[in-house]
Amino acid sequence: MVKRAKIKELMNESACSHNAKKEKGAGCDMPKPGLAAGGCAFDGAQISLFPYADAVHLVHGPQTCLGASWETRETLSSYKGRDHTVMGFTTGINTMDVIFGGDKRLINSIDYIMEHYSPEAIFVYSTCVTALVGDDIDKTCEMGSEKYGVPVVPVHAPGFVGGKNLGSRIAGEAILDNLIGTKEPEVTTPYDINLIGDYNVTGDMWQYLPMFEKIGIRVLSSLSGDGRVGDIRTAHRARLNVIVCAKSLITLCRKMKEQYDIPWISVSFYGKRDTTFAIREIVRELGDPELIARAEAVIAEEEAVLEAKLLPYREMFAGKKAVLNTGGNKAWSIASGLQDLGIEVVATSIRKSTADDIEKAREYLGPDGLLMKTPASEQAKAIDERGADILLAGGRSLYTAIKKKISFIDVNQEKKVSYGGYNGLINLAEDLRHAFNNPVFSNVSKKAPWEVG
Amino acid sequence: MEPQAKIPLDKHEHKPLQVNPIKHSQPMGAALAFMGVHDCMPLMHASQGCASYTKVFYTRHFNEPIAMYNTSVSDITAVLDGGDYSILMAIENITKKNKSMKPALIGLHTTGLTETKGDDVRTVGEHVELPYCYVNTPDYEGGMESGWALTAKALIEQLTEATTQVKPNKLLILPHVSMQPVEVEKVKELCSSFGFETYALPDISTALDGYLSEGQGKLGTGAITVEDIGQLGDSATVVTIGTSMKIAAKAMLEKNPNVTHLHFEHLMGQEINDNFVEALMKIRQIEPTPLLKRWRGRLQDAMLDSHFLIGSSHFVVTGEPDMCVGICELLRSVGGTIDAVIATVYSPVLESIIAETVFVGDLEDAVSHFEGADLVISNFHAERLLHTVEHTGLILRGFPNYEELGNQLKNDQLYEGSTYFLFEVANKLREVRHHG
Repeated sequence: MVKRAKIKELMNESACSHNAKKEKGAGCDMPKPGLAAGGCAFDGAQISLFPYADAVHLVHGPQTCLGASWETRETLSSYKGRDHTVMGFTTGINTMDVIFGGDKRLINSIDYIMEHYSPEAIFVYSTCVTALVGDDIDKTCEMGSEKYGVPVVPVHAPGFVGGKNLGSRIAGEAILDNLIGTKEPEVTTPYDINLIGDYNVTGDMWQYLPMFEKIGIRVLSSLSGDGRVGDIRTAHRARLNVIVCAKSLITLCRKMKEQYDIPWISVSFYGKRDTTFAIREIVRELGDPELIARAEAVIAEEEAVLEAKLLPYREMFAGKKAVLNTGGNKAWSIASGLQDLGIEVVATSIRKSTADDIEKAREYLGPDGLLMKTPASEQAKAIDERGADILLAGGRSLYTAIKKKISFIDVNQEKKVSYGGYNGLINLAEDLRHAFNNPVFSNVSKKAPWEVG
Repeated sequence: MEPQAKIPLDKHEHKPLQVNPIKHSQPMGAALAFMGVHDCMPLMHASQGCASYTKVFYTRHFNEPIAMYNTSVSDITAVLDGGDYSILMAIENITKKNKSMKPALIGLHTTGLTETKGDDVRTVGEHVELPYCYVNTPDYEGGMESGWALTAKALIEQLTEATTQVKPNKLLILPHVSMQPVEVEKVKELCSSFGFETYALPDISTALDGYLSEGQGKLGTGAITVEDIGQLGDSATVVTIGTSMKIAAKAMLEKNPNVTHLHFEHLMGQEINDNFVEALMKIRQIEPTPLLKRWRGRLQDAMLDSHFLIGSSHFVVTGEPDMCVGICELLRSVGGTIDAVIATVYSPVLESIIAETVFVGDLEDAVSHFEGADLVISNFHAERLLHTVEHTGLILRGFPNYEELGNQLKNDQLYEGSTYFLFEVANKLREVRHHG
């Protein structure tokens, strides 16, 4: 069941920079009625665990939770068996289950899944309704595990406990409590790492993993991009936890440090600078001089290749200025990529950013860069005053770009190509080239024959 | 997947879970309906995730900014609040934050969470200072189709003034949820061509129709206003399209017993459109426009042109009942064989579909019928499943369609839309036969 003590603990993560400045016990903000816009805790939990392709993800709740969310994320997997990430499983409870409890339905669903799909594990997600009516999901999962000899893991992140970020933390706890340390790896190396928080959206991980291989860094397990449940069970034997662009799983890493003495670092693979920095950090933590030397050689080689590829784009983009309006870590990660391509980022949004993200955005944009707290009202002015050539934002801002007669890229739309790693930068450059060259923005901004002035 | 025993058409589920579901929830239907009222603030009484999922779902289907808000129920309000706090605070917070926003109506609808905790959303309305309409739409009951229909019913019950007068040339259309914006517009246009003063409820013809303008996604931009809804009682004729909408017509008859109710299960194919046009001619005592007559001839030509391909083909159709029944009847009218209909929820209209098998289920159930079919008509989730099936094509209909652009302008209704639909089906069948 949902434990208040656990939620309180997760909301007060000591390793989070923004909590350091708050009074003791103040923690993360609770959603304010009418103003919470993003996904709920269940959403966050599902995002964090769903990429495990060898597990079935069973959503124990009414229709909205899974019906509207399955097959919406391009979290690619190389799993050779039946890929469950492109499937949706829900108990889809009805009125009778609300009245009499949904335990029986859940037991039957687990039986059905084991009989028809025999996955390596089942994650059972509680949701608002099944948490509220008090289904004993823990017991049902325990019985399922015993009956079938595979982990049946309860994930207690009903939507009403908070936002996506909290749900992601809860997912981390479920993994730590139920899976990590339950199996020994067949082999270990001194260069084993766990990748935490990269979900391999559009194959982001595959942009940098080939470099890891060249250097000799081995990914023991992943939470959870292209991950396997069997691997995450062995995660306690890794030498290093690498958090990728995700603050939400800091709690998991802190606890793994306490329980298994695994150090952790937080990195990003967006843009050239960040990718290079990330690799240097990883090999430095692993501490082998030979590995460090190999990493430097690979970085030099890859950067040279990339530089050659970027040259024509830098010429093309010389003098271009961009305004960026997107949330969270994208506020600086995309800014970093744009700067690598020679584009000046004159303003970025910090509306949904954490204290760390804001600090980083300031560092990247420099003292003259505009950090927009209310981008919806500030961005049009920023475009005018700073002479921006392109707006990168969500679909809602399209009209602003049209009105200002500048190019536009929808950065919040589900992207089809990865912007990660060195090669992702080329993808971003291509998207920008197309946006700059496309006459559509100026064509659409033309007045109709019946409009005056 | 092993062949399954035939699944009966039943209100009760045939298995404990859904695998690859096609069903969508009642609150999602309600949210869409409220978007079809001008300056309405669709407010979902739920935890933030329900609204976030729904918003993303419609944003991707329509490629439009979506106007939607939620009351962000937390664990504390889930237990301690009876709805007053979160609903009233939500309205206050939203209007405070967007000072220029002037909602003409708060469209409040519930979810599984807030129904389970048992909030009295009707009473809360007494404390709301703006016009308010509530509807109970738990997502553990019904589906998208019923959520939409219940909202239309609630709008009439709570906003329309009772009367015994009728305006002979005033007509109200009650379209089912699967009708896309342009389809509502085309049906309205047809009625107007007979000289009717025409309204649709809900009216998404100007809400999600892919129209470039400023300040979108704040309030509903539907073509019917709150004042219009208040005055709907004197509509001499009420036309329901889709069985799900009968409850809304019933609410209208309670407002005015002198209203004439015309019901059509769908508007696809020649026969039912002949009935529809005949009914309108009878009321107005005038001939259809030359263009409408011309479209009937075009449909007949399309039926003959496509009958060879469609008449030798097998189909599987999945989706909301009111959509499935229209597609099946049109295909059957040119000789198509319907192997299976897999509906999202039970509806009595499913009993009338002539097919090898009709049942309520999911895509796990549907996939066993894909192999033997020439063409599947389903939502985008069927796409990936069909990758492994050779010689079976796919036409995307119903929610959601994340694959294609311009969904709001796809027209399958009336003589005109049916014509386009038949050509699309026939062309797809030819492509499948030629290229596998």
